[in-house]
Amino acid sequence: MPAQVIVRDLRKAYGATRAVDGINLEVARGTIFGLLGPNGAGKTTTVECIIGLREPDEGYIEVCGIDVRREPREMKQRIGVALQATALQEAITPREAIELLGAFYRQREDTADLLRRFDLRAKADARFATLSGGEKQRLALALAFVNRPELVVLDEPTAGLDTQARRELRAEIRKMQSEGCTVLLTTHDLAEAEELCDQVAIIDHGRILARGEPGSLLGEMSRTQVVILATDRVIDVAGWPARCGITDIAIEGTRAMFHTTDATTALGELAVVLRGQGIRLISLTVDQPSLEDAFLQLTRRTDRAGAGEGRR
Amino acid sequence: MNGLRRHLAATVRLHARNTMALAYGYLFPLIFLAAFWVLYRYESVPLLRHMGELLTVSVLGGACFGLPTTLVSERERGVWRRYRLTPVPTWTVVVSTAVARYVIVLSAGLLQLAVALAVGMTAPAHPLGLWAAFTLVAFAFIGLGLVIAALADTVPAVQALGQCIFLPMLIIGGVAVRLESLPEWAQHLSAFFPGRYAVEALQSCVNGGGLGAVRFPLLALAVIGGAGILAGGKLFRWDGQQRFLASGGKAWLIAVLAAWAAIGFSAETRGRVITKPASPPPADAAVTPPPPVVASTPPPPVVAKPPEPPWMTITDKDVAALDFRMPPDHGVVSPIAPIDEEPDEFVRDQVEGVRTKLLAWPPASEPDEVQCVRNLLYVCAVPDAIQMPVERYLPRVVLQHLTDSYPKEKLIKLLTWIVLHPEEGRVIDDISDLGIPGGAGDPMLVRERVYIYATKFIERLSGRKPE
Repeated sequence: MPAQVIVRDLRKAYGATRAVDGINLEVARGTIFGLLGPNGAGKTTTVECIIGLREPDEGYIEVCGIDVRREPREMKQRIGVALQATALQEAITPREAIELLGAFYRQREDTADLLRRFDLRAKADARFATLSGGEKQRLALALAFVNRPELVVLDEPTAGLDTQARRELRAEIRKMQSEGCTVLLTTHDLAEAEELCDQVAIIDHGRILARGEPGSLLGEMSRTQVVILATDRVIDVAGWPARCGITDIAIEGTRAMFHTTDATTALGELAVVLRGQGIRLISLTVDQPSLEDAFLQLTRRTDRAGAGEGRR
Repeated sequence: MNGLRRHLAATVRLHARNTMALAYGYLFPLIFLAAFWVLYRYESVPLLRHMGELLTVSVLGGACFGLPTTLVSERERGVWRRYRLTPVPTWTVVVSTAVARYVIVLSAGLLQLAVALAVGMTAPAHPLGLWAAFTLVAFAFIGLGLVIAALADTVPAVQALGQCIFLPMLIIGGVAVRLESLPEWAQHLSAFFPGRYAVEALQSCVNGGGLGAVRFPLLALAVIGGAGILAGGKLFRWDGQQRFLASGGKAWLIAVLAAWAAIGFSAETRGRVITKPASPPPADAAVTPPPPVVASTPPPPVVAKPPEPPWMTITDKDVAALDFRMPPDHGVVSPIAPIDEEPDEFVRDQVEGVRTKLLAWPPASEPDEVQCVRNLLYVCAVPDAIQMPVERYLPRVVLQHLTDSYPKEKLIKLLTWIVLHPEEGRVIDDISDLGIPGGAGDPMLVRERVYIYATKFIERLSGRKPE
């Protein structure tokens, strides 16, 4: 499948800070590609370079077969973008905004159709300043689709939406994909990435740490659990069971945290150890790892492998 | 073109929905108009002589404050950043924004003109020329507004920068204070500001010679506007996080400054910076002395009785019908010092100099008696127009000279004729040959003051106003 987005050795620095440090990626036509990463990881800068909002220091970007740095306006004819926060004139209405921004493109969707698709008919003639956060987000998405784009770039598209709206948006994205459109989105929601994306890339410190199908890449992480416990005395680490997939043990005074792939077995064995040491359990929490935990795991993994993607 | 049209229409429509922008764009020019109307309420044709200034102030406010405030606030809020995600070219945004602002200031100017006509101003002498001049003025100031928007990172910075340009232009740039009233250094400085050219171009189309009489000001506005629009477009920033000092293209500022400097120096080299009044006609040409009487020559045969001068038809009824509601003697307009007020030494010397020189002043011996009286009234009117310290004391000198030269009844008739025919006769707006330097530079203004002083003299001579 030909690539709809090609990024080669992309670099962007702000002063001494390297926001993007040699990123390479390809997004195949007709797929949904998720770019995951914590705040400050470099995903927004990467996306802004791709959509022509920022001039990279180095690197090559091709979107829909067009060299972005040479023909940015032609590239913009072919893509739609919804940023995390979209600002418009306070007095403009959704209907006017769609008609105004649509006039900048060679081809455009019907205004009434977009208002219907994004459930904005009731607010079509309300001023932008009076719209709720969710309505503004829906308008931003409607504007992203105004030119029947080949590629849609969505920055945290479901942030601020309620459950129903999220479900509808995900359905809309899948519908677009079925019509042959390519989607590049950023998210920090693992479940969303897993549900929507054909391919994901995890980015941190301006580099891609891992990429692949979400099932294989995130599935392992989502099976991991985090256990946090507090005791009445300091635990002797030497007595901990080195089984049950327990990793990443961290002890701080009478508090301890570790990861495990089998919490039930690990806690049973841990109870035996604690009883043997005469230590009383005060509190216990078992949870899914946060995305940050997953990134930490990935970072360590790539460090160990010594050959992570995008590393020099 | 569709994008340009849509954005132009949207900009005008959104402006109409902004209450603050409407108040600033339309109310502010009307407040200025009301202030000028009150300030110059004694002028025979209300506001006619000030439409150039009033329209310039309207355009200045809309273009140098309204335009950059809107542009920068939208940039700060991220509106332009959203636009940048579309393929719209920078020039589409800049041109449509500039044209929309032109429509806005044009509507404010038309409103101002309509109100001026409603309060009694006569129609502009060159309406099409006025529209063309207004367009060029708007072009120049919108260019300036775009540059301010490019320079300012925030809305408060727009206000600060705007004031730095607006106030000097009003005060020493020939917009709100007449150039003739300014010291020479300020007149030199004003040659580098577009304000004076805007006033000259507009005023010429309201009650002057039209566009043909203001070619240089029109050229100045075109050059300044062209440089501003070009630099404003090149320096246009989409992103509020992008600071001016960190952005490129600053050399375009030099283009703007170069345009202003080129116009200023060009005005200097053409000698059109210092506003001087038209010189009065040479004394020997203005005065036609009566033919010498030769004793040996037989008296010429009486062919017919010479026609009666028209001023002799003035009756007491005409005098009584005059409007004597004149500015107070102690005010700024046409003052007359109390009879017992003594000027300081310098002014006293000037007053006495005038008193002496009047006796041999050729315009005071003009055979046409109406013109002769009018010439003497100019001796009061010119210093009043320039607002010289001596202005308060000269009316009594002139009145004394008049009463010494004419019988009271005749003088009242002559003065009444002048009041009833304020636009007749020749204007003298420079009396430096009487030891009073400077010139009014504005024949209309001098005529107005003649009208007021003539009325005040009639009041005194007819006993309506006791000393």
